[in-house]
Amino acid sequence: MSVTVRILAIDEQEIILSSIAKALANTGDARYTVATAQTAVDGLRLIRSNTYDLVFVEAYLPGMNTLEALRRIRSISPASSLVVLSGYISGTSLLGEASEYIDGILSKPFTTEEITSLVSRILVERSGKGRNV
Amino acid sequence: MMKLPAGLRHISISTRISILLGLIILVTMGIFSAISLVRQQHDSIDALSRSTLLLGQTTEKILRLSMIKNRRADISAAIKDIVGNEGIRSVRILNHEGIIKFSSRRSELDQHISHTNPLCRNCHAGGDSTSMHPVSSFYTYHYDEKSGIIYSSLPIYNSPSCYNSDCHTGETGESAVAPIKAGGVFIAHHVHDPSQTILGFIEVEVSAKKIIAGLDRSRSQLIILSLLIALAASMIVYFSIRYLVGIPVKKLVNGTKRVAQGDFTHEIPSGKAELGVLADSFNKMQRQLFSTQSQLIESEKLASLGKIADEIANEISNPLTGIIIYSESLLSLGGPEDPGRRDHETILQEALKIRESVRNILSMAKKEKLNFVLVDIEALIDHAISIVRKLSNFRNVRILRTIPKDFPKAKADPGLLEQVFLNLLLVFSDGMQTGGILNISAAYSEKDRRIEIQFADRQGTIPESVAHALSELEFTSESRGTARTTISLSVCKDIMALHSGRIYIHSEAGTAPSIMLEIPA
Repeated sequence: MSVTVRILAIDEQEIILSSIAKALANTGDARYTVATAQTAVDGLRLIRSNTYDLVFVEAYLPGMNTLEALRRIRSISPASSLVVLSGYISGTSLLGEASEYIDGILSKPFTTEEITSLVSRILVERSGKGRNV
Repeated sequence: MMKLPAGLRHISISTRISILLGLIILVTMGIFSAISLVRQQHDSIDALSRSTLLLGQTTEKILRLSMIKNRRADISAAIKDIVGNEGIRSVRILNHEGIIKFSSRRSELDQHISHTNPLCRNCHAGGDSTSMHPVSSFYTYHYDEKSGIIYSSLPIYNSPSCYNSDCHTGETGESAVAPIKAGGVFIAHHVHDPSQTILGFIEVEVSAKKIIAGLDRSRSQLIILSLLIALAASMIVYFSIRYLVGIPVKKLVNGTKRVAQGDFTHEIPSGKAELGVLADSFNKMQRQLFSTQSQLIESEKLASLGKIADEIANEISNPLTGIIIYSESLLSLGGPEDPGRRDHETILQEALKIRESVRNILSMAKKEKLNFVLVDIEALIDHAISIVRKLSNFRNVRILRTIPKDFPKAKADPGLLEQVFLNLLLVFSDGMQTGGILNISAAYSEKDRRIEIQFADRQGTIPESVAHALSELEFTSESRGTARTTISLSVCKDIMALHSGRIYIHSEAGTAPSIMLEIPA
């Protein structure tokens, strides 16, 4: 049975947003629908009006503290899985305190294989937890 | 610890010690001189007294001879002669009853001296003419410090010749048959009672003023000598301490002041004695401080470079993600028959290498764990060359590599070491825009178990921008290399350091300089 997997990507860089969409489209898996936002405010607006299974959030979004953004997304949409996109390897350590909100980290630059395997892992975990996929 | 008054604290150590030594010498010599002079005075008076005794004894002998022959005039003449000598003030002869019978002072002849006179009290302790006080010697002397005169007294003992001889015979040979009474004493035949012990006394007065004056002169001379010795010793000590301690200490103090002001280049002359060793230790400490400071600056520089690398890596990450994903997309869409497949594969392959390099740089900045394995240097160099050949920079550059057969493997992180080769190739290409031949050669030193890899153009020179960037990293802050060259070489330097190796400009007499990489085999 084919169920839509709704994905939201929030990143200031358009190339990242399009790369995520492209990578997931290249898998040929038609379940994935990808929405994008370039700011935290736009992303939160979309989360309030839609339901997403998975949200990619850039670790350093301009205009909002990362921890605050993650906390808000989690409070608005507790069922969504959260993945942080980080360009800084050193930045990942800052996410230690945010670990309770997130389900994965994707280091940039990433390959199609890396993003798809991460998404598959999260989906398997979600099904295990009884979340809708 | 005794504290100096505030006003004296500015006085130098050499002056303080000199003054202290001068005072010690003065006090010591003063005590020594005082003791010596008192002793000398005592000995001189004693010696003079003994001379006086001899004089008295001589007078007694003259008296005995003259009295037996009744030649009284001889006695007076002898006394007169004796007193004529320097320092002898008077000579007088008393009989046992205290009557002066002969004297150099005619005015006191026949005068009576009381039993209470100090001379008489030697025997007549109670001032009584009959009671006797036992004494070991009747010879006495008394020195009067006020007048500087020695009063001595010698008893004239009775003897058989005095009461048995046919004495008192005149010079003419006639005998004095009739007793003659003079001053109450019978000086005639058998005039002396045999039971009488002492017949009289000879008293001599001698002046010690000359000796005392001599001693006074000695005292003055000693005081002057003490002052001179103290002054000379103080001066010698002052200049010695100033030269041996003061000046070296001053140099040390100046050195510490310069270090406090941040000048680490000032070296203090060292030696083998204590202060020399101290100066040497100071110089070592200064060099250590300089080295530590340089390391701190270097660490700060590296930390800044780490931040820059972090920022650059982040900026690269976003477009690189696009390159990777879109290349993969093109490969996926094109299929195996796509004529552009090889190109897409190359793009993807190189993009992944960049990703690896970026991650390595970031790992290095974070000092993460390195992946050390045995690597084939030749293969790594060839791989790096194959990458750069496709760059437009290398269109006009020929790369010649000379690596001996069966070249030993190096224990290294292959990704990082290839990064070094790539960086060096790229910085050389920047300096060879118009083309040229780049020589890469490797050699192995069996003795040191180290591999050396040399980068130089055909003329054996280094592009100016490379040399400047490298020298900037090593020694100076003058930036003449491009930012890219500097960062690239900084990364090379750090990677080589992580491998216990180094990168340096190799320069030998007669040959042009080149860049050398050194790494343990």
